Amino acid sequence: MPVSSAPEEHLRLQNIGVSFGNVNVIPSLDLSVRKGEMVAFLGPSGCGKTTTLRIIAGLNTPSRGHIVVGGRDITRLPIHDRDIGMVFQSYALFPHMNVSRNVQFGLQMRNVSGREAEERAGRALEMVQLSHLAHRKPKELSGGQQQRVALARALVIQPSILLLDEPLSNLDAKLRDEMRVQIRALQQESGITAVFVTHDQVEALSMCDRVVVMRNGHVEQFGTPTEVYERPATAFVANFVGRTNKLKGKIGSDGVLSAAGQQLHSATTVAPGAVEVLVRPHRIHLQGQAGDTREADNKVKGTVSGLTFVGDLVQYGVRVGDDEIVVEEATRRERRPVGVGDSVVLGWSAEDTLVYPGGGQ
Amino acid sequence: MSAAATLPRQWRNGELAVMLLLPIALINAIGFILPVLNLARYSFNKSRIGGGIENVFTWDNWAGLLSDPFYLELVFNSVWISLAITLTTLVVSYPIALYLHRSTGSWRTFLTVLVISPLLTSAVVRTYGWIAILVDDGPVVSAIKAVGLPAPSLMFNIKGVFIGLTEILMPYMILALMAGFGRLDPRVEEAARTLGATPSRTFLKVILPLTLPGIALGCLLCFVLAVSSFITPKLMGGGRVFLLATEIYDQAIVTLNWPLASTLSILVLIVFGAALWAYSAVLRRLD
Ligand SMILES: Nc1ncnc2c1ncn2[C@@H]1O[C@H](COP(=O)(O)OP(=O)(O)OP(=O)(O)O)[C@@H](O)[C@H]1O
Ligand SMILES: [Mg+2]
Repeated sequence: MPVSSAPEEHLRLQNIGVSFGNVNVIPSLDLSVRKGEMVAFLGPSGCGKTTTLRIIAGLNTPSRGHIVVGGRDITRLPIHDRDIGMVFQSYALFPHMNVSRNVQFGLQMRNVSGREAEERAGRALEMVQLSHLAHRKPKELSGGQQQRVALARALVIQPSILLLDEPLSNLDAKLRDEMRVQIRALQQESGITAVFVTHDQVEALSMCDRVVVMRNGHVEQFGTPTEVYERPATAFVANFVGRTNKLKGKIGSDGVLSAAGQQLHSATTVAPGAVEVLVRPHRIHLQGQAGDTREADNKVKGTVSGLTFVGDLVQYGVRVGDDEIVVEEATRRERRPVGVGDSVVLGWSAEDTLVYPGGGQ
Repeated sequence: MSAAATLPRQWRNGELAVMLLLPIALINAIGFILPVLNLARYSFNKSRIGGGIENVFTWDNWAGLLSDPFYLELVFNSVWISLAITLTTLVVSYPIALYLHRSTGSWRTFLTVLVISPLLTSAVVRTYGWIAILVDDGPVVSAIKAVGLPAPSLMFNIKGVFIGLTEILMPYMILALMAGFGRLDPRVEEAARTLGATPSRTFLKVILPLTLPGIALGCLLCFVLAVSSFITPKLMGGGRVFLLATEIYDQAIVTLNWPLASTLSILVLIVFGAALWAYSAVLRRLD
């Protein structure tokens, strides 16, 4: 794939607002997607992911703002002129047409000749490995097969943008893993710009170039999976993407952070006041283990209150004052055994100590 | 010891089905099959002047019917007019049914009641209503005259029958269509739109094919009702429109020729059989 120094913007949402009746579902949304990248919309149920997707497709009309694709304002363009492929959560295949006719539909609407349409549909079905089912009706297919037909149907028209609304949520875990890889491969192969809606963080982080974390109709953070995970912009993002421990703390007028009854070090600085301190479980380790030479900026004493062995890792619950901190460590053979009731010292680095303003009180 | 052995005797599937079907089978046998068999028998009996039936076997009724151009034309006219009325009813009902299917909440309830409410008054009352509206000095003709067009004659001819029956059959058509609209999924229509289909092509390629079962059902229902309706053609045709149903009525009630009336009735039944066959043929093709 050619790597250009300045990635070209392909899709821009500009100050988009959406209301249903007098409910303002999306107050104001700005977003810019580059050509050929796959962006995930990640967020809890009801945060407006589907609505935003439907706005791009033209299925909903924004009450405000502009949609720009490839430099062209398409806000007022009718759905059928938008050249946008959409994979619906329910697949929405045409029940009265067989698989091949389903895939040919978009080509027929573009007045592609019968033979060419058949050939291109054939190739699209090959791509999703469904050539042998071309003459089946949708109701004679499994969920995963229907999903692939929907994908082929959207891809065969070579749309300028591919929209996928939770396409994997109806599949079982194994098929979901397979389809993730397949969708990503197809997207990269065709170099198509794609928006992928999901409320599954693993899906968002593993498949997409960048992730939009949404909440209540606005963007909390827009960044690469690593950025979103390692440097969450808000406590909400830290909570939503990956698991995390939450401590109440405060920053004094001298700028010193205190939480869990002692002073802590953090790489981030925020204004004095009440704060939330977030640390991911697997970034904390038990100090003093044999062969453990890890330095810790923050050291906190506590008592083990629970222990779960999960095979490749051990999960400890550690009571620190009023707080319960979850620690995850990879299992190692030469570990010193730690049991419930043991006193331990937890250690983690300043970089892993995420501090956000607020946190009540 | 198996669990089944400890349970009381259980219904076997076959027995249960027979038990459940028995009441309706009995009602059908007494209320429908027997009278039809009786009709079939009459059609091979001889009529006596004054309404009597002579219990002898004869082919005369059938032979007479099939060799008389009047009756052949009657069958042809009835079928043709009923088909035309059915088609008209379909065309005017479809948009209403689709709109109703898509509306929601109390607005939908209100509209549904509005559609069904004509069924609460008898066809006789509604037919007289139409007569009052369509007669030569009625509001419709007057309005047409007022804008300077030549006054049409809408009553006591086939036009009146056409208009009246279409309106009377509309509720049935709308209900049948709506029953068949269950397959319409708004997402599927949206999918068609995102794939580049204009609204009209979405209608032709997706909505219409998906609603064909409802259309077939509504057409079957209305065709049968149109062929068998006699009050509206009788009153609105003013005795000048001859259809199978009105002729059966005349033969049975006026002329008192029951064997001929029976023969015509069996003929109607054969027409219905053909309609039913066409309906199931359409359904089979759609599947
Ligand atoms: N047609 C509608 N009329 C009224 N409110 C709507 C409509 N469609 C969506 N909403 C509301 O808009 C908000 C956003 O809905 P949306 O479907 O975009 O959420 P989502 O992020 O896709 O959620 P999910 O993960 O559950 O699919 C919700 O609060 C929902 O109730
Ligand atoms: Mg959704």
